[in-house]
Amino acid sequence: MDIFIGLANVLMDPIILAWVFAAAIVGMIVGAIPGLTASAAIAMLVPLTYYMEPLSALAFLYVIGKSGRYGGSIAAILFNTPGTAASAATQLDGYPLAQKGQASKAMKVATISSVIGDLFGEIVLIVGIAWIAALALLLGPPDLFAIYLTAFVVIGSVIGKSVLKGLASAALGIVIKMVGLDPITGADRFTFGITELMDGVSLVPLMIGIFVLAEVFEQVAKRSNPIEIVNEPDDQTARDGNRLTWVEFRPCLPHILRSSVIGTVIGMLPGLGSTIAAFVAYGEGKRRAKNPEAWGKGALEGVAAPEAANNAVSGPSMAPLLTLGIPGSTIGAILVGVFLIHGIQIGPTLFVTSRELIYSLFACGLIGIVMYGLIGYFGAAYVGRFIARVPTDILYPIIMLTSVMSAYVSRGSLFDVGVMILFGIVGWGMKRFDFNPAAFVISFVLAGGAEEAFRQSLRLSDAGILIFITRPIALAFLLIGVFVLLSRIRSLRARPVNAALDDA
Amino acid sequence: MPLNLHQTGPAIALLATGAVAVTASFWIPLDYDGSMGARVFPLISAGVLILLGGLMLRPVKADEEAEASHAGIPAGPLMLLALVVFYLWLIGKLGYLISTGLVTPVALWLFGIRNPAGLAVAALTAPFTFHLIFFEALGVFPPYGAWFDLLDLIGG
Repeated sequence: MDIFIGLANVLMDPIILAWVFAAAIVGMIVGAIPGLTASAAIAMLVPLTYYMEPLSALAFLYVIGKSGRYGGSIAAILFNTPGTAASAATQLDGYPLAQKGQASKAMKVATISSVIGDLFGEIVLIVGIAWIAALALLLGPPDLFAIYLTAFVVIGSVIGKSVLKGLASAALGIVIKMVGLDPITGADRFTFGITELMDGVSLVPLMIGIFVLAEVFEQVAKRSNPIEIVNEPDDQTARDGNRLTWVEFRPCLPHILRSSVIGTVIGMLPGLGSTIAAFVAYGEGKRRAKNPEAWGKGALEGVAAPEAANNAVSGPSMAPLLTLGIPGSTIGAILVGVFLIHGIQIGPTLFVTSRELIYSLFACGLIGIVMYGLIGYFGAAYVGRFIARVPTDILYPIIMLTSVMSAYVSRGSLFDVGVMILFGIVGWGMKRFDFNPAAFVISFVLAGGAEEAFRQSLRLSDAGILIFITRPIALAFLLIGVFVLLSRIRSLRARPVNAALDDA
Repeated sequence: MPLNLHQTGPAIALLATGAVAVTASFWIPLDYDGSMGARVFPLISAGVLILLGGLMLRPVKADEEAEASHAGIPAGPLMLLALVVFYLWLIGKLGYLISTGLVTPVALWLFGIRNPAGLAVAALTAPFTFHLIFFEALGVFPPYGAWFDLLDLIGG
């Protein structure tokens, strides 16, 4: 019922609708530019949202995240370069289709699949989140700490080439979060006498450094070749060949539905994200396909499966964030900061204190999906052509200058610009040495809550840290963490996995 | 078995960071009741960092070594890093208008733009575009130049 009220509120507010529309376009363009992710765009735009109403700000960033995931498919199909890591699976069949002169058809399938997957995930989120929040209210500090600890282990170990480097990225994020005054006693920690560090390392400049400046460093290192677009013939035969018929689309439907479920389940688990979802859905789709030999050579189903899955992740990844305060993705981690900036405390009580806002945000998500679906269905090819004309040698210097200004604007402090530069170096180093920047940022965001839960647990306990194994829920989560870590080490020994969490 | 060079550098960086953090953890005052409260989490996380850094120093198999990239650090990012650090320093001295005007063409040059007219136009338009967006539209107070600030003259 709340969602209908939310929909009515949003549909009657032209300003919010305008922000959602802008987000649908911005996300699509950013997602389609190779190298630039939705996380980077959101990190850079966060300071601008300080001056917006909370719902407009959250909706703007939330829809950029959704639309950005979809936008990656445009680059994958047209440029043979995935715009985001999550769209790399789409490239496997999308680009061969473009080479056959069927780029428009591939993009229509990608659009419809993304919309269905995203709507599926969003509806599951809307229906299920109140229950999850009610359950979350039953959790005590020891259970919460066990969940945090498991999240650190999962986020650090599951993705990337190296478990050690993933876990080290997470540990580094925790250490950096410890800088500043102790939240309980007010004791000075890791400030080394620098007054500006008393408030801790600010999230916004850190994220701009890690996601934006690091990418600018990467691009100047590559000095990449101009984007080359696959040109479609523009005669009547080509137009007829690009018309998507029901007969062609029908075999995609089972793949879309299965992949939507895969994406939704993976989305609920912190840290896994859309890249994993897309590849799992692609693999599962190919395994069950009637034409597995055609996959990888230009099968429409090979576009539908990963696109449905990577977009289905978007909604459910908000569930741990909104109910437990645990972001499941980098975009979620950024949204934590936006909630806090606007004075909104996330966690299970959010559904008591800001119920209307949350359901209005979900409504914006639904409307945003429809908007990017319509824009993409009719205009994805134009977006592709527009991006092919954007000179990256001009774009990235502008992004560098904007990131300096955005870091300054966050608190009106040049010190924050220095922080941004420092974490730009850290982020670039992490990329070069196969560490996991996403695990670093998510752990940075989680560490405050984890420490609070840990210390509250110890104060509640007469048995010290044994409290974490005497409570069944806490013990269950700790065992899950151990299980995930051991299975990941085993799977890496058996078969190296080369995945990234660039836009999880 | 050889050390994996791709891991050694980052491992040493982690060990150093962890060692500094462990030392600094012992400077954190104890709680009023003498318990380690505020120290515990920083100490544990720094300890984990040292542990992981140490594990990364272990000798690795030859195939892992072959997998790792040994490409040197390219000059472009280092030059850009120097530029952005200089930009930060310059903003503090000359305000953001002049510094942005000076830094923009250099940044474009680093990315391969060589057209003198284009660089000149960028040097003029970039500061004023950023001024309009961030300091006029958003109303943020601009960073002040300690030596000289163009805004003092033009009354921005």
